[in-house]
Amino acid sequence: MITIKDLGFAYGEKAVLKNITMNLEEGRIYGLLGENGVGKTTLLTLLCGLKKPQRGSIDTDGRNPYDRQPSLLSDQYYLSDEVPAMNMKAADYAKYYGKFWEGFDMDKFIEVMGVLENDPQQKMNQMSFGQLKKTYIAFALACNTKYLFMDEPTNGLDIPSKAQFRKAITKYTREDSIILISTHQVRDLENIIDPIIILDRQDVLLNATLEEISQKLYFDYSSERMEDALYSEMVPGGNIQVCLNQSGEDSKVNIEALFNTVHLHKELIKGIFNK
Amino acid sequence: MKNDIFNFRRFGKYFGTDIRTCWANYGLSLLTLTLLTPVALYVIVNAFNLILESSWDGPDLGLRFAVFCFAMVCLIVTMPVKCYGKLTEKQYGTFWLTLPASKLEKFISMIIITCIIAPLAGILLYIGADALICAIDHTCGRNLVQGGIHFFQNWSELGHMTLNLVDETLTIEDAALTKQLLEQINSPMLYIDEIFGITLPFLLGAIFFKSGKTVKTILALFVISSVSSAIMAPVVESWSHELLANINNDPNVILSMFNNGLFKNLVLLDTISDTVINTAMLVCIWLRIKTLKH
Repeated sequence: MITIKDLGFAYGEKAVLKNITMNLEEGRIYGLLGENGVGKTTLLTLLCGLKKPQRGSIDTDGRNPYDRQPSLLSDQYYLSDEVPAMNMKAADYAKYYGKFWEGFDMDKFIEVMGVLENDPQQKMNQMSFGQLKKTYIAFALACNTKYLFMDEPTNGLDIPSKAQFRKAITKYTREDSIILISTHQVRDLENIIDPIIILDRQDVLLNATLEEISQKLYFDYSSERMEDALYSEMVPGGNIQVCLNQSGEDSKVNIEALFNTVHLHKELIKGIFNK
Repeated sequence: MKNDIFNFRRFGKYFGTDIRTCWANYGLSLLTLTLLTPVALYVIVNAFNLILESSWDGPDLGLRFAVFCFAMVCLIVTMPVKCYGKLTEKQYGTFWLTLPASKLEKFISMIIITCIIAPLAGILLYIGADALICAIDHTCGRNLVQGGIHFFQNWSELGHMTLNLVDETLTIEDAALTKQLLEQINSPMLYIDEIFGITLPFLLGAIFFKSGKTVKTILALFVISSVSSAIMAPVVESWSHELLANINNDPNVILSMFNNGLFKNLVLLDTISDTVINTAMLVCIWLRIKTLKH
């Protein structure tokens, strides 16, 4: 389990994260959502030890990520939003660097590259950004790490690749892994992320599972207008409306509508979910 | 419990990968600098000799040695930036920091490659290319290795030779002094620690500055040396005044100084000061690696 306690981080005078407290549990794929500049990438880099917390602490199963101990590094993988184009073939990259991760599986790398329709024999510095991203996604999954942090993994991927990514992430990750994926494009990750974390400026607005969300919020897809809707949006064929779930009825969570609802009613949502 | 500080197996893996990465980043530049430079020098000098003097005459040992030194300085200045300069870039730096090897392993590998392997590879390749040219065309005279051996043989023989000149141009005291001086400053440590002294600042500059790494390193060295000279100049001046005053008053004092190993002590002092500076550089590089963030 990853325990984040009173985490604070600022760039100079500008505070980005303030008193962030949460637990990330095993066997879950967390979706980290938030507007630009709210600190999603900062949080990910803090979790994988690329930055040092200025306040509070991060505990990854008893270890401090900033110590960058090889035993922890070999059990975690951070996929940055910007990836280096190495002067070597993708297969050679996997061969040379994969050996540093104890659980690395070359066959799995080749398999995932196949699923993502990428050529392992192509030189990485001759790949398009999307192909390069897919190579690193395949590498990340082939590392079989317990902790997997992905920053905007679907950026630069074409439409079929986004579907292939969803398929790969559900099929090729460990049962006990903690996966944290940050994204702007919530539709790309719909159906795979659960729980959902929504960050606001310096704060966590929401950290809840889809089950908890659907228990507390009701997502209506009918064309009938609801008077008590917290959020309403017209879509082809009707509306998406979000209101408090007072009847206990089940509904399918629409992450984009949820995100907009949370942003419109920050204090209300915090109050509901922090009860 | 795994060793998170240093593990030989993991270090071996990392070192191999580090060498491979450096070769990918700097291999071509290394080959160009060490193999193409002596060939280019040979071709240019011969071309000039043909045009100006209508003779086929390769570059002499002195010129080849000077160009060799220049090429080695270029290697030392450019190699750390090409191999490790990318650590300050977000993309590569993130990858490097999250690579599962300890900070100590990454540090040791970096030092071995920059201070030992790259200069050694450069020297061997260059003198190999030079030896090949000299073997093909005898107008070049001695190759760099033969020239070096000859120089050091003469160096140690020079003292004995001076003794033969007694009663001709030198007194026995002069000859004895010259011999002693030559012997005292002929210490390998005087040259070996200089390699570290030159490479380490450029390695530190490569991983410290985010842009203009080489220029900023040279500027920083210029500022540091200016400041340290300004501080040390009065000390050295008063010391040399004292020394010269003693010599003027009594020439036998300088003889006693030589007899007491003056130059040997200066070599030792130079070695100690170089060791202190190199250790400080190593500490700075280590701290930079330890605190590097992205």
